[in-house]
Amino acid sequence: MSSDQPFLKTSLPSIHAASSRQSNSSPPKSRPSNSRRSPLKPKQKPSKPEADPRHLAIALHHAHRIQAQKDAQDLILDRILELVTLPSSPSADPATPSAEDAHNFKAALVPFQPADYDNLIQERNIEGLCGYCLCPHEHRKENSRGTYRITWGAKGSGPGGRGREMNIVPREQFEMWCSDECAERAMYIRVQLAAEPVWERRGDDLRGKQLLLLEEGRGSAKGKGAVRDAATVKEVLGQLDNLHMDSTPEPGAVADDISRLTVRDDAHSRELAVERGDQNPAFQGGRVNVQIQEKTDFSKSVTAPEMRPGDEKGGSIEGYIPQDP
Amino acid sequence: MDDEYNFSVDDAEREAIRVWRTWRTVFEMLQDRGYEVTDEEVKIELDEFRNKYVDEKGYPSRDKLKIQARPTEAMKAKYTPLPTPSNRDPQPDCGTIYIEFCPDDSGIGTKQVRSFNHTVDEGNFHTGIFITKTPISPSAVRLLSGIPGRICEHFQEQDLLVNITRHELVPKHVLLSPEEKMRLLARYRLKESQLPRIQVSDPVARYLGLRRGQVVKIIRRSETAGRYASYRWVI
Repeated sequence: MSSDQPFLKTSLPSIHAASSRQSNSSPPKSRPSNSRRSPLKPKQKPSKPEADPRHLAIALHHAHRIQAQKDAQDLILDRILELVTLPSSPSADPATPSAEDAHNFKAALVPFQPADYDNLIQERNIEGLCGYCLCPHEHRKENSRGTYRITWGAKGSGPGGRGREMNIVPREQFEMWCSDECAERAMYIRVQLAAEPVWERRGDDLRGKQLLLLEEGRGSAKGKGAVRDAATVKEVLGQLDNLHMDSTPEPGAVADDISRLTVRDDAHSRELAVERGDQNPAFQGGRVNVQIQEKTDFSKSVTAPEMRPGDEKGGSIEGYIPQDP
Repeated sequence: MDDEYNFSVDDAEREAIRVWRTWRTVFEMLQDRGYEVTDEEVKIELDEFRNKYVDEKGYPSRDKLKIQARPTEAMKAKYTPLPTPSNRDPQPDCGTIYIEFCPDDSGIGTKQVRSFNHTVDEGNFHTGIFITKTPISPSAVRLLSGIPGRICEHFQEQDLLVNITRHELVPKHVLLSPEEKMRLLARYRLKESQLPRIQVSDPVARYLGLRRGQVVKIIRRSETAGRYASYRWVI
């Protein structure tokens, strides 16, 4: 599993940006138009009139997007097949996984949606393994034919701190895991996955990329709490220092700023196009080509309409003069 | 409690009958698609099926249930694309079909599908049909359709218990050859996208193994016109 290389077989940079963490720091600013380089290159036939290049570009753009989606789905399928074989050693402890396994697991889950993760769990269960990928044990099997199971929590977990907590769990859900701890670990990962598919994610979207295992999450929560107490006062004071009001800027600077605020800024619009994934030149000005022409000829003076002969009877209708009955 | 005593025997009997009916439907399907199968194979009796494919406990042994069939000349003609200036002698886009019943009772995932894919690839079959007793997992479905250049289909046994095309309310579906399709479009001066459509996932389309872009002729009885033919484009 090589998480650090770009793994998608696609030419769409937005997909790359969404799936690899490295591209965060340097988003592609400008890019040579790659819309011509495609598997769907039409043959130049002499008999057919040549296709409108704009239509061609739009069609290619959509074809590329669909291809990227398919590639992403293939990638997820490959990842599922790889993750079924985790952990690498049969004696691994799910609470303290080896660093390599944990890294591979987290890196492989980046393009996943929660539904893909459910498929992964189902696939592991079919193999007879616990649904949590870092757990080498077998999943629980119930001999009873009941559809539901009653599980009891620890002592003192019930309402009001008395008695035990009771849960009624469907048998399929109960049998997914080897233990309740593994169920918690797996669900802790699941809620961190990004809900939108990888081809719609944005490059700077951090959701679903910085996954934490349950143990890490708890550890860091504790650590953070401890550090916070000590740091608060200092931090707050430091931030207060920065909080002085800026002196009013000079009028010239304001004018400069305003002049930079033009509507048609090529660099910015290109950046925006990259961000939206419409890197195609066809989309840069929007889909409809609007051309506004200012009226330049003001020499003619405007006069009010005058009565012409015959107008009192209604005049002509597009050249036809109605006859009196 | 005679019921209790006979439970396992009845169970085996029921199972054998279910698999026999599926088996017959599979052969009818092959015949309707245009593969070479004999009439004895299609009309196999339950006793004969039992002699051949049932183990000593009375249960059908699914790992023996494997079929290979070659397309007939008529089917090859139907699947041959029209010659183009660049390709003057097109080859038919169909070939030997391979059908396998999955012996596992539950939990069919990527493992079984991968071995099936391997068999299809190894035997260089054009088409493969994987028949299971229970539904297969979503990733397995995706894996099954993922072999480049080969067509793999999946059916559940219960889908094939009854041959749906023999039902009186299901009209007759006939696949058109590329030439017939071209003539149809020329006759009515249509583009293919102007035809009514049928989905690839339609039960009859699945039964006939239709592919995107083909056209089927649907012949139904009509009270006023006797017979009424309509055409649908597979999408």
